[in-house]
Amino acid sequence: MTTTTPTPEQPTSGSERSTAPAAVPFWRNVRVLAWTFQLVVLGLVIVVLAILFNNVRINSQNQGIPTGFDFLDQPTSFTIPANDLRDTQPVRDAIVEGTLNTLRVSVVGIILATVVGVLIGIGRLSGNWLVRNLARVYVEALRNIPLLGLVVFAYLAIVLTLPRVDDSIQAGNLLIINTRGASIPWPDGTNLLLVGLLALAAIAGWSVRRWRLGVSERTGEPSRVVAWVTPVVLLVLFWGAVLAGVGITSPMIDGPRVTGGMTLQPEYFALLMALVTYTASHIAEIVRGSIQAVPRGQGEAAKAMALTGVQQMRHVVLPQAFRIAIPPIANQYLNLMKNSSLGFVISYFELTKVVSTTIGNRSPAIPAYLVLILIYLVLSLIISLIMNTANRRLELPSR
Amino acid sequence: MSRLLRLLSLLLVLALGAAACASADDDADDTAPEVEETDDADSEEEPDESDGDADADADEETVELTQGDGSLLDAVIAADEVRCGTRDALPGFAVLQPDGTHEGFDNDFCRAVAAAVLGDAEKVNFIDLETADRFTALQSGEIDVLIRNTTWTASRDGGEGATFLTTNFYDGQGMMVETGAFESLDDMDGAVVCVASGTTTEGNVATEFARRGLSVEVLSFEDTNLIQEAFLAGRCDGWSSDVSQLSALRTAYPDGESALTILAEVFSKEPLAPAVRDGDTAWAQAVNWAVLATIQAEELGITSANVDDFLGSDNPIVQRFLGVEVDGAVLDPGLGLPTDFNYQVISQVGNYGEIFERHITPLGLERGPNAQWLDGGLLYAPPYR
Repeated sequence: MTTTTPTPEQPTSGSERSTAPAAVPFWRNVRVLAWTFQLVVLGLVIVVLAILFNNVRINSQNQGIPTGFDFLDQPTSFTIPANDLRDTQPVRDAIVEGTLNTLRVSVVGIILATVVGVLIGIGRLSGNWLVRNLARVYVEALRNIPLLGLVVFAYLAIVLTLPRVDDSIQAGNLLIINTRGASIPWPDGTNLLLVGLLALAAIAGWSVRRWRLGVSERTGEPSRVVAWVTPVVLLVLFWGAVLAGVGITSPMIDGPRVTGGMTLQPEYFALLMALVTYTASHIAEIVRGSIQAVPRGQGEAAKAMALTGVQQMRHVVLPQAFRIAIPPIANQYLNLMKNSSLGFVISYFELTKVVSTTIGNRSPAIPAYLVLILIYLVLSLIISLIMNTANRRLELPSR
Repeated sequence: MSRLLRLLSLLLVLALGAAACASADDDADDTAPEVEETDDADSEEEPDESDGDADADADEETVELTQGDGSLLDAVIAADEVRCGTRDALPGFAVLQPDGTHEGFDNDFCRAVAAAVLGDAEKVNFIDLETADRFTALQSGEIDVLIRNTTWTASRDGGEGATFLTTNFYDGQGMMVETGAFESLDDMDGAVVCVASGTTTEGNVATEFARRGLSVEVLSFEDTNLIQEAFLAGRCDGWSSDVSQLSALRTAYPDGESALTILAEVFSKEPLAPAVRDGDTAWAQAVNWAVLATIQAEELGITSANVDDFLGSDNPIVQRFLGVEVDGAVLDPGLGLPTDFNYQVISQVGNYGEIFERHITPLGLERGPNAQWLDGGLLYAPPYR
């Protein structure tokens, strides 16, 4: 092989040489070299992947471990707390529920962490000594703790110190708090109906906002969007619920458990608290840095126009700071979503917990983890896409 | 190195070589010898391989990587050490002592394997594993044998690449509650039950409650300490696990043993058995007969204390079992183990009854199904002949 293969190649390049003698020889041609190099690297990457893949396949076969994705159709044989999943449903359903749980904690966590993070970030620059230093202690303490410790601490110190069911903290039937969770009255209806109602209210609120902004533009009177939109939304929700016959169920203590209403799962709460406090400490630092990166003159000019402190921040400094802050904050959002996998320690059945439980119940590890990786990848890409879109829209148009 | 890699890298080198040779330039002369060298090195490797095994394919090569030349049995003898998958904190079964040694029922069976295979019960390397990692460790060859409270089930036999051997402990899943809180499982409708994650326990609770038409919420934790914290705080009503484990955990409960009650219902079969990797019969048989030695010895009444007296026994069954030379002949059943392996196991580790009394009796558990078949239990060793 060694001797035969080069030979047929030789005449070809020889003829090439004779046809274009003046041209740069192709082995010195930068483009050819660049391409060759890239192809070699690509080839190496493919070879390494092929070896790894082959290794897994062969070793799994030798040890009688299934490599396919048939496990997705097997019964789960476990249940998920606060979920209707039956143990006879296939694994794929459990993975969907796990993904939804990851989304539940991530989306709420991202919103709360942003609010807390921005407030603390602003607090770091406050003129008030106490506020400034409290914010500083918060940031320094929380961002230097491993998140796992924070999660377990939140669970042990917050949730597990709550009273038992038989001596719950209780405000009539409006609020019941114990180690089984916090329960509040909740509309009694299908989720679809509730989502429909919320959508209707959102449309109504948005129309009113648009109308008020239009009025403000035409007449110059203040738009007062919040004052107009809030009652409209509440009215739509109320009458919509009444007309659609949505009832309200109140929680009550029934033997060892709380029935009715809506119960906030303690594990969810503990994980959410840990994720929010931790991520907020990182977001706060990003916000502080971004605010400081806005030229000082901007804030001074806003002050010169007699804007109040809040107005300076709201209308002048923060919009500019956010342009700088969005890419690193997007990074924190991705971290938060991935960190939610720590919920497995405290029995919050998010994606990782579900997948590792199905592996404990006979799903093959490598294909199951591949599914896990792919889902996290898709979730991360979605967050990136949203944040990149936001970034592009906020970017200063430049030429 | 697989054949694929070799082929692709060869092609790559050849392509480069072709590109270099194609030019009648000085540079080409510089590179050409290099290319030749690489090729030579490659083609030298080729015959080496075909010398050893004409039809060596990728499958055999990878097996060689993990198992050496044949059975794991040879590899273990060569390494002079049994790597045994265990855990660090399950009273009675496997506890990591302050001095770094492991004490427990499961650990003694690891020692029995080492005594049988290597003639020295102390040549065990105990590797602590999390529940969820134990089969991966077995599959990847990190451990030779898994003796770690592992229930033998069909899907584990089939799906985890594990082969289960003779059961060394017959267990069943039970429910532990605060004393007085519930009288039976039927009272526990809507209860929250805490279990260890990554086990069959979760599924058993779900199935049993569904069978009884009760609703249940199952929380699962990796860490037994967290289960205990959650249980103490009233986050869960029940703590479910194998009865042996519950008894063990109850002895260490902060509020005292009497604060907890194990309900009478046992709702699953949990045969705990040693497991080895699929596809290695010689090693599986060696481990199996090491476990059976302890059972057989108890049936014959041989203990670590009196085993030396039995060496002079006239009973042919005992003679065969202990590998005593009679008329110049010693029974070698061909298991690949020394002929006196039963003697080594009994003298160094003891028989099944001794191991049980040492570790399980202090937990307050009776022999129950773990008695000899002659006493109405399930322990039954095949004849040694």
